[in-house]
Parts: sequence; structure tokens; C-alpha cells
Amino acid sequence: MKKFNIAIVGLGGQGIITMGTVLKNAALSSDLQDVSGSERRGGAQREGYVETFVKYIFYKNSSELKDPKKNMHSPMIESGGADVLISLEPLETLRGACYLNRNSTVIFNEMPHIPISVRMGQTSYPEFGYIARELEKITKKIFFYDFDKISVSNFNSLTQKNIIALGVLFAKTNIPIDKIVIESILSVGKGAKDNLEAFQIGLAL
Amino acid sequence: MSKGNLFVNGRQGDKGIVLGNEAIARGALEAGIGYASMYPGTPASEIIIALDKNKNNIENLYTEFSLNEHISLHGAIGASWSGIRSLCAMKNVGLNVASEPAHFLSYTGVKSGLVLAIGSDPGAPSSSNEQDDRWYSLHTYMPIIEPSNIQEAKDFTKEAFNISEEFSFGIMLMAPSRLCHNAGILHFGDLRDRFNIEGDFKKDPENYLNLFNMAVKNHSKYLERHNLLKKYLEDSEFNYTLLPNANESGPKIGFISSGVIYAHLIEALDILGIYNHKILKLGFTFPIPNKLIKNFLEGLDRVVIVEEAEGFLEFQIKKIAYEIGFKGKIYGKDIFKASGELTLDDVIIGAGKFLEKTPPAFFDFAIQKSKELNEKLPQRSGTFCIGCPHRATIYSILKAVGFSNTDAKDRDVVIAGDIGCYTLGLLPPYNAMDFLTCMNAGLGIGQAISLFDKKKKVIALVGDSTFYHSGIPVLLNAVQNNADILYIILDNSWTAMTGHQKTPSTQKDIDGILSSNPVNLKDLVKSLGVSYIKSLDPNSVKRFSSQVKSALKEPGVKVLIAKRECILQEIRRNKFVQKTSGAKIETAESLYEIQKSRCVKCNECFVELACPAIIPKRDGYEDKEYYYIDPVSCVRCGVCFEICPNSAIRKVEFDLKVKLNKKKNEERLTEVPIQV
Ligand code: SF4
Ligand code: SF4
Repeated sequence: MKKFNIAIVGLGGQGIITMGTVLKNAALSSDLQDVSGSERRGGAQREGYVETFVKYIFYKNSSELKDPKKNMHSPMIESGGADVLISLEPLETLRGACYLNRNSTVIFNEMPHIPISVRMGQTSYPEFGYIARELEKITKKIFFYDFDKISVSNFNSLTQKNIIALGVLFAKTNIPIDKIVIESILSVGKGAKDNLEAFQIGLAL
Repeated sequence: MSKGNLFVNGRQGDKGIVLGNEAIARGALEAGIGYASMYPGTPASEIIIALDKNKNNIENLYTEFSLNEHISLHGAIGASWSGIRSLCAMKNVGLNVASEPAHFLSYTGVKSGLVLAIGSDPGAPSSSNEQDDRWYSLHTYMPIIEPSNIQEAKDFTKEAFNISEEFSFGIMLMAPSRLCHNAGILHFGDLRDRFNIEGDFKKDPENYLNLFNMAVKNHSKYLERHNLLKKYLEDSEFNYTLLPNANESGPKIGFISSGVIYAHLIEALDILGIYNHKILKLGFTFPIPNKLIKNFLEGLDRVVIVEEAEGFLEFQIKKIAYEIGFKGKIYGKDIFKASGELTLDDVIIGAGKFLEKTPPAFFDFAIQKSKELNEKLPQRSGTFCIGCPHRATIYSILKAVGFSNTDAKDRDVVIAGDIGCYTLGLLPPYNAMDFLTCMNAGLGIGQAISLFDKKKKVIALVGDSTFYHSGIPVLLNAVQNNADILYIILDNSWTAMTGHQKTPSTQKDIDGILSSNPVNLKDLVKSLGVSYIKSLDPNSVKRFSSQVKSALKEPGVKVLIAKRECILQEIRRNKFVQKTSGAKIETAESLYEIQKSRCVKCNECFVELACPAIIPKRDGYEDKEYYYIDPVSCVRCGVCFEICPNSAIRKVEFDLKVKLNKKKNEERLTEVPIQV
């Protein structure tokens, strides 16, 4: 049995949950594949911390698939258990750093959203250099972009930044999923054209 | 995916990615339900949403977002007694409201299968408490099933309807938020025929008349049925034992667990590399048959019960162990905490300590690292959406009573909070609430405070959905007993927090279709005997604020209705209408802009109002930060424009499309690879 764990973190309203759903649908292409992963959602409110997990499981054979000691998966990722951490907000990358190990890859958005406590002057937002240095202490595989800017300049809106980040996931990591599977998932439903385009933009970054 | 909507059309052999909540709904659908209801509540909401949004494609399905949980469960009972399989869902605290019907259900029994799905919320990310509703079963005698993953959520729900009918109990299905909002692969099953779902209430006074000696008789009848169910569960497939891979010498250890925590346990033991202990998985956690436990405990020296909250399993199993004379030791809450969510990490650490096995190095490293980091990170809390009318309401109230977002304790007005999106007003920077507990506690507790503390003015807040839930009798009570209180109903026309279900206030659906019977809230309040009623738009903050001030000077019960629709719904409807009517997209737009030269950074808009669309910005060549309205996120509600004391915010009409397109050409895509 092989596993590949992805933790996605960010703020409510950034499309984190959609990213998880798209990735999970890729697990349907083989019978020996499984996927688990819960999301943390509050109410409709914005700006709060949100995280979702995608845990891919690849069974060796069908007897493993039927083994109750192998086919039961927690909806959570343990500390240090993520192969990839994607974060749509720089500060939250550090909060999500609990899922990182020395071999993890980090992909994050460099566009900050300042929390209320910073607005009120009670705390200060960490410098970008601090964030990058702290992450480097854990892993060397770090990629960051201004996903907000890229989304706005290509689509006149912030809504595609999550799919652009998915493109980066496929460009920069060894995720054991064929990107064609993701493209076929993105090619259905409303917004298919923009989603496919956003994915390609991410792939090319 | 060729079948289109799998939730409706899926059959044996199909598979899809579904949410835990949707799996529960699908299980009920496969079991042939004809009735589904709930009062919306996170994390359970999607159970009924999944059915409700598909009801036009499902034959003979009735769905209802009831006004409260008490009504909702009664509705399910009525449907069951009419021969309709029924599903009722609610969040954990909802059962407190529905506990009365829940306590009668075992007395009277069901006719057709009835399942009550409870979404619990360990860690309380969306709730006002962490209660574990399993304890209810010790007095309601409702049997409990606890699925561990998506597949079981569907399969258990489906089978629960059969068991419900066979033993005439309503069955409680427990789903913590980690299951409700887990998404994974579901293998679908076949659906029961739906054409013959038809109600027929057969009179059954023996069971349905429940008082005096009839109640006593019903009591003894359900105790008997309870024992029959216990017997049935001695060897049902809901509970099973995993045997060790190899038998080792040394003490014989066993684990017992259920639900999502069982999934944590299996994975935790795998991470620890431990496979040589016996594990009992309980799918049914009430009742638990003695024989099952006896067989499991046989030959064991130590048993560890792994569960969340106060130890419902431990309580039952220790009793059984005593009855059967078990000589070994039983552990549980002495290892695993009772408050807060029990995470996968907690189970790894707890089991590791108990078995004296150190977790892998990467795990310890990550725990250590995140501890170091977290100490330095600014906390982040949720807030109102951009353009939310609640922000304007809360801001206006605070202005009216003397703004104090730094120390709410100094405010000489008591502000009572309640449950809904506006609850977020209790968080910084507003700190606008002095107490918050359960539904309609605001006015309930507030009216009494107004009777006993004459020195302070009391304001109670409530949302429209919460008011209709159970606020009407509270308001009537306040009027009848001469309370002196200002009651502010924040009427945004939707149960917004749980995904925008309709309330009696909803005038227009998002597809523009008018509701057939909306309530006139002002008339309703008037009919309860309130004479001071004003309804106004909270986005006119100055007007609203002065209205609060003058209302506070009046004696008795005063009601202000802050009437403005939820901004998200307004935007959705506009988009929908624009799209379907083919109307030309409006290009000339108004835009709010902070003039750098006039803004003195007084923080009125940035901290006091705290609209997230107003952000600090620094241009490359300047070293001073200035405030800036992000035109992409701003929804042009105009509130900041109204409140700026320095007239630094201006409204500009201009052609947005042209400007943004120009910007698009000017800016390059940015890529910044890190140097390491
Ligand atoms: S309220 Fe006006 S002056 Fe004060 S910070 Fe905002 S824009 Fe500047
Ligand atoms: S107009 Fe002002 S208060 Fe309203 S959404 Fe825009 S920035 Fe926020």
C-alpha cells in the first residue's frame, strides 16, 4: 500500500474545498485506489482558517483492499504526514507547517490577508523573509507565487487562484496522478473553460 | 459520470466522490425514505440539503427545513406513523430542542423506519458546545449506530431503517464533523422502489396514547424490545473483532473503539507499526450486549477504550466488565482527553505512550516544530463577509452605545448575543456581546437582567431564523412581564450560516421567484403586543445608530428590525437574473476609493468597521503604508463611505471593465522562484 497526502490550507472563501474535491475525483479512475480526507468548515463566514486533506491510497492488490486493517483510513493527516502542503495565504502556511516533514513540498500564495489582530495593532504580520526562512528550516522544496495577482490579471477575478495552484501542484511535485485525469475533471461543469485555462497557467509557472 | 447526477441515478456498481453527509442522505434514499427534515445546523446541514436540492428528480420525496428541531422530529414521527420511512437530521445541540419527542419515541415506537442523524461537533468549530449526544440514549433508549467512514455512513444508514422497523425504535446515527465533512469514495447500492410510497395512518391507540398506566405499559414494552435488540446485536455484522497478526508473549492487550476515532486508531497503530493486538470495532454503541464484550475480554490483561468526549463507551463497558467479573484493567479517559477534538495525533501519542512505542521521528519533529512556530503566529478568527449587513448593524449599535472595541467590560449597556452569522460580532474587533449560549438565550436571559439591573440598558440581538425557531414565545413573555429591553432582529431573510435555507422572511428566491407565503415580520411582532417597532436598513449606519439611541430612551419592550438581505444572496440573484434575462452587463460602475491625500488613518473604516476589502498597501517606491479599497473584493455597499469622518472616501462612477482590461495588459505574470 502506498500513500500520498496533500494538505490544503487557507481562508474561508478562497476555494480550498473545491481544490480538495477536484483532487479526490481523480481517485475514481482505478479500482485499487482510495481517497479520504475531511475538511474543516465553519459557517459561511470569511477570513477564518480553513483546511482540507486529500489522502490518496494505492492498494497493492485486491486482498489489501479487502483487509480491514488496511482499508480503513482516518480523515486527518498526522503531524509531519503531508507529501505536499498547498497554502493560499502566507501566514497560514506556517500554521499548516505542522503537516510538513523534510521531504515535503510547499506551494504557497505570497499575497497576505491580514488577520483582525494585526488590523487592531495587537500583533504584527510576520515578514515574508521570516516565513520563507522558517519553511526552509523544514524543507528545501518551496515554491511561492502571487496567485491573487495572476488570477486577477488573467481572469479579472480572484476565483481562479485555487485552480492555478493545482496546476503548480502537478508541475512541481511527484504527485502520482496523471494530470490528464485532472484536466478531464475540470473540463466538465460550469466554468470549465476558465478552469482548464487556469490549470494550464499553473502548470507553466 | 455518464449517468449525470449519481446521487439520484447511481445504482449498484457505480462509485463517486461524496461527502459524509451526502452518503447518509444516499443511504436513506436507498432505504426508500419519503420524508426528510431538519432545522439546519453545521455540521449536519448537507444531509437534508442533498435531498432537498434533488427532490424534483426523486419520486415521492417530501423535504422540509422545519422551523426548529422539536417540530422537525415530530414531523418525522408523523410520517413514520403514516407508513413513510423518514429521516430527520440536526446538529448535536438540536437534540436538546428535540429531546422531548426523542424521549417519547421509544414509548410509542415507530411504524415505518425512522433514523435521526446527529452531526456532532468536537472542538466546537461551529457550535456553542461539544456535547456528546450519545448519552441521551441512557434515558431515551434510542439505539445508536456510529459509522467510521463514507461507505459505512451510507450502508449503516440504509440498514438502520430495517432495524428501526424490526425493533420499533427510532435509530440515532452519530456523525461527528470529521465524518460529515469527510469526502471520499462511495460505492452505490440499488434503490428501493419509490412509486408505492404512500401514507396511510393506521390507528394504534395501544402504542400512540401515552399517559397514565398506558405510559407505564409502554415503558415495560420498550425495555423488552431493548433486550431483544441486545440479543440481536450479540453477533451482528455491525460489531467485529480484528485479530492480532501474531501472538506475542507479554501482557495481552485489546483496543475498543467506534466511529471516526476507530479510523484514527487503525491508522495510528499502522503509523506506530503495531499489529499484534486484538481490536473490537463497535458499529452499534447502544445497546452493547454483555456477551459480545465478554467474548472480547476473554484472556486479555489490559483493555484500552479509544473515544472522544467524556467516555460513553467506557461507562458502559466498565459496567459490563464488573457484571461478568473481568479481572484485567480497563483504560480510557485516563489516556485520551475528554474536551476538544480527539485528533489522529492524539491517538498516535496516547496509544504510543500506552504501548511504550515511540512514534516515528518525522512525527515528533513536526510536533516540536509546530509548537515553536505557533507561539509566534498571530491568531486568526473569522469575520463577516465583505458587504455583510450584520457588520453595519453591529457597528451602528456599538456607535450608539459608546464604541468600545477594546474593552467590552467597560460598556454600561448589556448586549446579549444569539446564534447565527451575527454571532461573529462577539469576536474582535467588535467584542459586541456580553453573553452567548444557546438559541434565543439572548432575549430569554436579557429580559430577566432588565428586570433586576435597572441601572443598565439591555439590548438583545437575534436573527430572523433564530427568532422564528423559538423566539416568538420569548418575545411574548418579555412583553407580558414588562421587561425593559431593546430587541434587535437582524433580518437578512435567510438561514445564512448553514448554506442559505429559506426562512419565513424570505421574499424572493435566488432565481427571482417570489415566495408564496412570506411573513410580515413587523405585523407579527405587533400582534405579540409590541408597540415600539421600527424597521430600517442597517447600511444607513448613521440613521440606524440614532434610532438605537432613541429606542434605548423608551421604556418597555422595543423592537428594531435591521432589514437587509444577506449580501451573498443578493449578489447570487443579480448574477442569475442577469444571466437568464440576457441583460447586458452593466459596465458603468460606482467604485469606492480612499483618497491617499485626505486619509489620516484614523482607523474608523480599517479597524472599527473592519471591512476586509479595506487593506493596507505599500507601493514599491514609498515606505509609508496607506489604506486602500481592493476593487476586486469590494461589493460597493457604501458603508465605509458614509462613516469616514474625514471625507476621504469618495464614490467614483467609471467604466470598470475598461480599467481592469487595461490593467491586465500592463501587468506581467509574476513568478518568483525561491533561492535556497
Ligand atoms: S475612515 Fe477615512 S480617514 Fe479614517 S482611515 Fe478610513 S479612509 Fe482614512
Ligand atoms: S464599500 Fe466600503 S465597506 Fe462596503 S464592501 Fe466596499 S470597502 Fe467594504
